Amino acid sequence: MNPVKVILTLIPFVWTIGGIPFVNTVKPIVFGLPFLAFWLCCTIPISFVCLSILYKMDSGKNEEE
Amino acid sequence: MSNETMALAIIFAFVIGTTIVGMVPGMNKKMSLEEWAVGGRSFGRWLNWFILAGEIYTAFAFLGGSGWAYARGGPTFYILGYGALAYVVGYYVLPAIAPIGRKHGLMTQPDLVEHMYDSKWLGILTACVGVAFLMPYLQLQLTGLGLIIETCSYGIIPRVPAMLIAFTMVAAFVYLSGLKGVASTAVIKDVVMIVAVVFFGLYLPIHFFGSVGGMFEALDAAKPGFLALPGGTKVLDVSWAMSTLVLTSLGFYMWPHFSANSFSAKNPDVLRHNAIYLPLYQICLIFPMLIGFTALMVLSPALKVPDMAFMAIVQQVFPGWALGLVGGAGALACMIPAADLILSTSMLFTRNVYGRTIGQGASHETQARLARVLVLVLTAVALALAIYAPNMLVNLLLTGYSGVTQFFPMIVLGLFWKRATKVAAYSGLIVGEFLVFFLILNKMDPFAIAGLHLNAGFVALVVNFVVFVAVSLATSTPATIERKAKAIG
Repeated sequence: MNPVKVILTLIPFVWTIGGIPFVNTVKPIVFGLPFLAFWLCCTIPISFVCLSILYKMDSGKNEEE
Repeated sequence: MSNETMALAIIFAFVIGTTIVGMVPGMNKKMSLEEWAVGGRSFGRWLNWFILAGEIYTAFAFLGGSGWAYARGGPTFYILGYGALAYVVGYYVLPAIAPIGRKHGLMTQPDLVEHMYDSKWLGILTACVGVAFLMPYLQLQLTGLGLIIETCSYGIIPRVPAMLIAFTMVAAFVYLSGLKGVASTAVIKDVVMIVAVVFFGLYLPIHFFGSVGGMFEALDAAKPGFLALPGGTKVLDVSWAMSTLVLTSLGFYMWPHFSANSFSAKNPDVLRHNAIYLPLYQICLIFPMLIGFTALMVLSPALKVPDMAFMAIVQQVFPGWALGLVGGAGALACMIPAADLILSTSMLFTRNVYGRTIGQGASHETQARLARVLVLVLTAVALALAIYAPNMLVNLLLTGYSGVTQFFPMIVLGLFWKRATKVAAYSGLIVGEFLVFFLILNKMDPFAIAGLHLNAGFVALVVNFVVFVAVSLATSTPATIERKAKAIG
């Protein structure tokens, strides 16, 4: 499997699940949210970006089929 | 008009209007079972996106999210993370399922399992387990709908009659519309619900505290630590959140009704494309939490049923018509997913249990009739559970998740690993489900080990996975590998 794809797939998981022990605090409040909530919200755009890139990489392959 | 008449009238207008819209696609022609259940496999990108999103944002997002924020605090935030991770999993899993389904005429998750492992009884077992764990999820929707009707009547309609009304509404809706109806009304539901949660989620904290940040500052000052893990609980700590995120993100697409939906997609590209945009939808989950936290600071005395936090604060702050609008949006958020769940459950039973055992050779008409009768039976069972075994919405959700996630090794390794065998699938599934039952019934969820508190479903999944891999390695032969390669190729 393409290593770039593996990394793109893992980033959201490492950020979210791996991050939790380090971000379990209320302060600082970022964009009005407690820090833990802010961190978990970041998973959303991160997944979006990673999946968009994966889709771009895969859609080239589909045309060949 | 009094507040309660106004609120109830608006809710029923929503529900009846939606049912009519849902009936239109099926009115002109007689629907075959395939059309009623998988929409004739013709859904394009956006319709498929809406139907997926439509089922994700259910009574749980609406009432359970705010209820948990109200009662538990910090642990609630896990909800923000799991969906976006689940879509990454789905990006790989769903497009692998869709072509196999199309090629071999599969309609349900047990069809897929039966096909991959060439085992009729494994399919039947999968169907039974699926039905068992869809029930708490269905119960969740009916409980939510009952709570909404109860609150919107300002307590005039007590809980049990409210649930009976909910039951009638849901059963009629599914009976009349089928999957096409669910898809077209999901669009209405999504729009109404997003408008409602965003508006109230921002308005309420700003109204009482000046800003969202102000509300959190005030809450943090009043209850230090409530907004981090383990919040208002003792055991829902960092290890619980991590294990629950693993469980829920892997389990997300193991719900039997999601397989039916991936079979309804035109091609795998539709499913991949959807995966990109679904995470963005996830941001809407924060708003019900804001409402729950505001309710915690504002409402007194404390609520007996935390899941009512959303409805209770709207009832207190706004006039009846506004409560009616929220109730209407909420009612759709319960009904449409409930409809989809009932449809999938009745399909599982008709096709994969009845159709593979005593009903072999039954005509399509008989099966279709049975599927429709089951709609009523299943809703009645969920109603009975909701009345006699009430539970907080999030507990129902997590119980269902713990159960369906046990399909993960069997389905995902089955799709991508040629050495996966039938014996392994049986062993892993049985061990996993046994552990889920054992731990949850013995109140050992979360499971305490070495100072950690792990989600019981996660513990079961790990054991299941190890058993699956070990048994596969021990039992695969060149013949099973070759057969498997053909089935998934």
